[in-house]
Amino acid sequence: MSVRLPGPERRESILGASQRLFAEKGYHGVSIDEIAREVSVSPAIIYRHFKSKQVLYDAVLQRMSAQRESYVQTVINSGTSFEDVLTGMTQVYIKSIDENPDLLRIELQSLLDRNPATSDFFKNRWKSFTDYIEFSLNERLPYDTPNREVRILAAGLMFQGMLREALLQKYLQPEDRLVDVSLFELSHELVRLFLRAIGIEKSHLSRRAVISG
Amino acid sequence: MSDFDSELDATGLNCPLPILRAKKAIAAMDNGQTLRIIATDPGSVKDFEAFCKQTGNELLSSGEEEGKFTFLIKKAA
Repeated sequence: MSVRLPGPERRESILGASQRLFAEKGYHGVSIDEIAREVSVSPAIIYRHFKSKQVLYDAVLQRMSAQRESYVQTVINSGTSFEDVLTGMTQVYIKSIDENPDLLRIELQSLLDRNPATSDFFKNRWKSFTDYIEFSLNERLPYDTPNREVRILAAGLMFQGMLREALLQKYLQPEDRLVDVSLFELSHELVRLFLRAIGIEKSHLSRRAVISG
Repeated sequence: MSDFDSELDATGLNCPLPILRAKKAIAAMDNGQTLRIIATDPGSVKDFEAFCKQTGNELLSSGEEEGKFTFLIKKAA
């Protein structure tokens, strides 16, 4: 039944299958037996590589974090204006989900699983956006703005909610009316609306951020 | 006398803020001057390597102590 694979390849095939299963069913919905069946090996082989389901799950997360999106290119290539950087970051984030939609599924599963390791992992991914938005608004908003602190927090939340919802609609519950709209196009409009809502007009769209690859 | 010309505290901030602030700080420096950056985001190690490689600025040193990452960058002439 099972084909003999060298260690690193076997490990990689276990990680790949586990990622798919965890994405589909959540941490508690998957057993080592099921993963073993999926890669056509005995559970003992899985345990030889990963001593427990938790260790295997952590390794899946680690593998995903190694592919984490880098915003360095955006910062180097785009202007340093708030709107350019935010647009560039949004595109990079969308691209990473597009390449690996399991990330989105595991994120949702982890919110329900309450696994601290996973929730930190995903919180940290969104923190790039909320940090950037909060830091930039803190620099820009006049000190006498009413409800200044809450407004800054709310702006970060608003953006995160908007982008996450667009990704959910596009990848997890595709709807006819969104089929013909590209995510990049959608994200441009979302960023524009967001900027208007927080009182920043997108002034120079021509210096739009460029992503590599 | 300190062994760097400017310093940037990026602790607690996630990418791309440390990189973005470093880019702005370096733009305001003279060629050959050095910038020391302190960050806590573990991803910043790879990020500053990539940043220096692509911008031509020199990464003189990079180290970690008690969860704090420090980088010393020399502005390219």
